[in-house]
Amino acid sequence: MLTLSNLKKSFGTIAAVDHLSLEIPKGEVFGLLGPNGAGKSTTVNLAVGLIVPDSGNVSIDGSGSPVDVSVRRKIGVAPQSLAIYEEMSGRENVTFFARLQGLRGRELKKSVDWAMEFVGLADRQHDRSNKYSGGMKRRLNLAVAIAHKPLLLLLDEPTVGVDPQSRNAIFDRILMLREEGCTIVYTTHYMEEAQRLCDRVGIIDGGRLLALDAVESLIAKHGGKRMVIAQTNGKRVEVACDDPLAELQRMQSEGELETFHVERPSLESVFLGLTGRSLRDE
Amino acid sequence: MNAILALAFKDLRLLMRDKVGFFFTFVFPIGYASLFGVIMSGMSGGSESTGGIPVVVVDDDQTDGSAAFIEELVASKEFEIQKSTLDDAGNLVRKGNVLAYIIFPKGFGQARERIFGRIAPRIEIGVDPSRQAEVAMLEGLLTAKLYERVQEAFTNPEVIAKQVDESLANLAGEEDVAPVTRAALMTFLPALKIFSKAMADDDSSGGMSNAIQAANIDVVSVARNETEKLNVYAITFPQGIIWGVMGCTAAFGISLVVERTKGTLLRLQMAPLNRTHVLGGKALACFLTTVTVATVLILFGIVVFKIQPNSYAKLAMGILAVSLAFVGIMMLLSVAGKTEQSAGGIGWAVMMVMAMIGGGMMPLQFLPQFMQDIGSISPVKWSILAIEGATWRNFSYVEMALPCCVLLGIGIVCFTLGARAFKWSS
Repeated sequence: MLTLSNLKKSFGTIAAVDHLSLEIPKGEVFGLLGPNGAGKSTTVNLAVGLIVPDSGNVSIDGSGSPVDVSVRRKIGVAPQSLAIYEEMSGRENVTFFARLQGLRGRELKKSVDWAMEFVGLADRQHDRSNKYSGGMKRRLNLAVAIAHKPLLLLLDEPTVGVDPQSRNAIFDRILMLREEGCTIVYTTHYMEEAQRLCDRVGIIDGGRLLALDAVESLIAKHGGKRMVIAQTNGKRVEVACDDPLAELQRMQSEGELETFHVERPSLESVFLGLTGRSLRDE
Repeated sequence: MNAILALAFKDLRLLMRDKVGFFFTFVFPIGYASLFGVIMSGMSGGSESTGGIPVVVVDDDQTDGSAAFIEELVASKEFEIQKSTLDDAGNLVRKGNVLAYIIFPKGFGQARERIFGRIAPRIEIGVDPSRQAEVAMLEGLLTAKLYERVQEAFTNPEVIAKQVDESLANLAGEEDVAPVTRAALMTFLPALKIFSKAMADDDSSGGMSNAIQAANIDVVSVARNETEKLNVYAITFPQGIIWGVMGCTAAFGISLVVERTKGTLLRLQMAPLNRTHVLGGKALACFLTTVTVATVLILFGIVVFKIQPNSYAKLAMGILAVSLAFVGIMMLLSVAGKTEQSAGGIGWAVMMVMAMIGGGMMPLQFLPQFMQDIGSISPVKWSILAIEGATWRNFSYVEMALPCCVLLGIGIVCFTLGARAFKWSS
């Protein structure tokens, strides 16, 4: 569905995206994971044709570059910053942007009804969007992106500043869209979101793609060992190991094991292992 | 085209929901034009006021002659007369309630009646020293009023004959008249009596008043062919329209910056649109709004203040030219600032200067000559001229072409510069 081939984009002397290549098949939720400034938004902007690469190609659904207006109709984007007109109602926002996508008449109405219902704003659709909570605005941002039923949906940090309830609602909607066959590119620096939602994850830093695989595979390859954290003889002990059960038995044999828990490696540890720094350092 | 229309209607919807923008676009210009219309009607003799020079008169003479002259002043549209005592009259002048007081001293009535008497009628004027220009006008008007008596007398040979007989009788009883003067008057006055009679009998001469009149001065308005009085609101409403148009321009100039700062421009850029769609939508919305504002304002003036445009076709031509010019200015202003504050500040600063030097704040005629010359660089001047040309200056189509072409030129240049400077990509 989305193919990025050897993309390169620099701003001055800074390489925002550095020879990045990846291919995302239809119906996949793909996570682009990286800290702030890693190049995620630049990659999204290249993917939607908002900026032109210095070199390399972008192809969507095998039909060409997103700079082409007809290709851009296949894309839906929910930008990181809320891009809605606050003086217009939720429904007016969705209707306006859907009309720009070429929808008219009954099809337009049906699509808007569906989008408002899908994001759970049908009962507040006629309220001005400046009356919405932060979470509702995020959902409206999503509704605007999906009203025209895009084949490719790019969600750039869609849960920033959202309360847990709205966040869960957004997750549920994304999974529903995947069920309907929509290809989703999801950028975030929250590893737990990527772990929960994404079929595959690409880890990006300094504009370069450091790793690309399914979450479990990435963890297995780059996450390192599991960590046993225990309290023995009044002392706290942390041990990295391949077999936690054997390690716990060893601790039990050496003294009184008061408390313990085992931590599995996560994407955070994958990122730490790949870059030597934490995902949320910046 | 559908995308441009959708973008334009979105902007119109947003404008209607912006209460401040709506006020400065529609309400403020009507208030401005109405207020200045009321002020100007007061200055030029509108229906609400007599419009004359406010003076207070003190009749110390208390004769039929002085009373008759005061009644002539009261009946005159040039004066707004109050009668009072000397003390009160002085206070009224000091407080600035009236321009001057006029005292008619004893003997005024008799002296005025005796045209050929050796004592001229005397009046005393106490004036507000801060209003010298109006005082000079008052002196001139009073002199003209006093002269009317002489002119009136010379139009009637019977009055002349009566005045001559009375003057000759008085001359016979006055011993202090110099012999030369007495001889001259004894010769001149009877001859005048005969001349007056002869002129009255000669139909072709037009009477003696024509013989003694220095000139006939007819004042006509060169702006209109019609004989009706110019409606002052026809002068103020073009200015009001320009304020409305400038309000639109400021609002739409900022809106493009707001789109950028709020992130909605980013979404528009990601939609299947190009820069032509976005700029076209913004320009169309601005154009429709300025045309609507101008039309609503002029209709308000026509319905409420009875403005009668010379030509509706020329008015439409003027409004279209003004709207196109300000659409171009909007486009240029929209790329001038990077934040809402800077764009708004720059926009209004530019337009205030344009209004100031272009006659938007005060009619150009009231400004010094060099300011009037500078005003030619302001689109406000040409905008006002284009609308005035159609409302009361009675321009021909050829005369309308100059301001309209200048405005179109301004619009094209500004739009081109603004569109070129507009950054489509992030």
